[in-house]
Amino acid sequence: MLNYIWGGLIVFSLLFALTSDVRDMAEDTYANGRPLPVTVTLDGALDSEARRQSATVHATPAVFAEHFGTTAPDAPLVLDVELIQTKEGNQLRFDQNSDLPEPLRTMCDAHARDDDCRATLEGTPVGGAFVAAVAFAPVRWVKMNAIAAAALDFAETAVTIALGLIGGLGLWMGLLKIAEASGLLYSLVRLTQPLLRPLFPKIPEGHPAMGMIVLNLTANMLGLGNAATPLGIKAMQELQTLNPSEDTATDSMVMLLAMNTASVQIVPPVLLVAIMGLHVNQLFFSILITTALSLVVAIAAAKLLGRLRTYRRTNPETS
Amino acid sequence: MEILRLLIDYTSAFVLPAIIVGFPLYGMIKKVRVYEEFVEGAKEGFGVAVMIIPYLIAILFAIGMFRASGALDFLTEGLRPVLGAIGIPSEVVPMGLIRPLTGSGSAAVVLDMIGQHGEDSILVKMAATMFGSTETTFYVIAVYFGAVNIRKTRHAVPAGLIADIFAMFVAVYIVLLLFG
Repeated sequence: MLNYIWGGLIVFSLLFALTSDVRDMAEDTYANGRPLPVTVTLDGALDSEARRQSATVHATPAVFAEHFGTTAPDAPLVLDVELIQTKEGNQLRFDQNSDLPEPLRTMCDAHARDDDCRATLEGTPVGGAFVAAVAFAPVRWVKMNAIAAAALDFAETAVTIALGLIGGLGLWMGLLKIAEASGLLYSLVRLTQPLLRPLFPKIPEGHPAMGMIVLNLTANMLGLGNAATPLGIKAMQELQTLNPSEDTATDSMVMLLAMNTASVQIVPPVLLVAIMGLHVNQLFFSILITTALSLVVAIAAAKLLGRLRTYRRTNPETS
Repeated sequence: MEILRLLIDYTSAFVLPAIIVGFPLYGMIKKVRVYEEFVEGAKEGFGVAVMIIPYLIAILFAIGMFRASGALDFLTEGLRPVLGAIGIPSEVVPMGLIRPLTGSGSAAVVLDMIGQHGEDSILVKMAATMFGSTETTFYVIAVYFGAVNIRKTRHAVPAGLIADIFAMFVAVYIVLLLFG
């Protein structure tokens, strides 16, 4: 299943990006090759010696909408720019951080290098206000470039995330090693075994895997995401020692994973608290009820799907 | 109920320190060479992190590409009429789609919705409940299975997704029930 989903994500990214780009081309979303008619107001008189001079670009909503074929924006376009005079001609430099309306935003991002978004100014600057036109470099294949950039970006992010786990993993693996050597883990296993036994029938009695699972689920419940991941990984490692196969998940592993993806959180996750602040308190019960119900569904799904012939056939513990 | 909440708050504050101190302390009582054992165990951390890398790259880059392609907009548009018929507001559809794929992405969706509808709106409550009650399924699969080199995931993905879809519906209905 993961093979199909993964392949699907990649193939569909290409299809959607292609569709979106072809549609942009057909609808001429970025008005390629047609300069935008504007009024430019120079701050002060024109200084023909100065390389850079600040100015303001104006366009009425009607002109803007007509030019790009969009609905008219609420306010007229007013942008602070810099007039740059070069031997080859005059350019306008847009501030990359300013609040550009679409599609100008995308057009600027597509060509921006070093936060520098420039367009050619067609018209002769004079002091005060003058009528001119702004010609942007043609914008094509926005989404195609975006998916390629995203693929590279996220590959890097993956490594950052994985390496960021090293510290937490080390700490928890160390603590768990002590718990194992001191017999603490076995006490925990004996204590919680009756409760979790029905969910993980394949784990032999008194096996440390059960203890790791309990710790993982507890950490999850209390919203301790940083501890839950290393504990879950450790639990997986213990389950792997019971797995006759090298690369195929056992029923117990699928169960643990399903319980983790359903996320048994009693305490709202830290990230949500950071976003919502105190408002999150109102959601305590809605989150609790949802998470509890989805946990039940996850457990049922893992159990029932495991009985299907396809998944029974691939079960490493019976074949 | 308020007491229950306080109790949970306190427990979650104390549980980590209790484990981090308690495990070695118990070890010392049991005459375990705690330092040596700790270092021995901690050694594994690096290996596991490195082992996860290929799995995470595979999952994250595919999801990143999918998001960048604008596919979510297409899907949202397509699902809107279908889900609208069973009472799911179209504004929360993107959240339901993105939640199993990326954690940071769905956090951004919540933020965006707060900006658009205000923190007290029922739509934000629905989205936040979805966010709080499920996990980033594909990330969990990559990390947990990656750490033990499991490539054939069997029914893990369907089981996780079934729970996610179910949670999305429950979140909407529960919020309607409690706040609607």
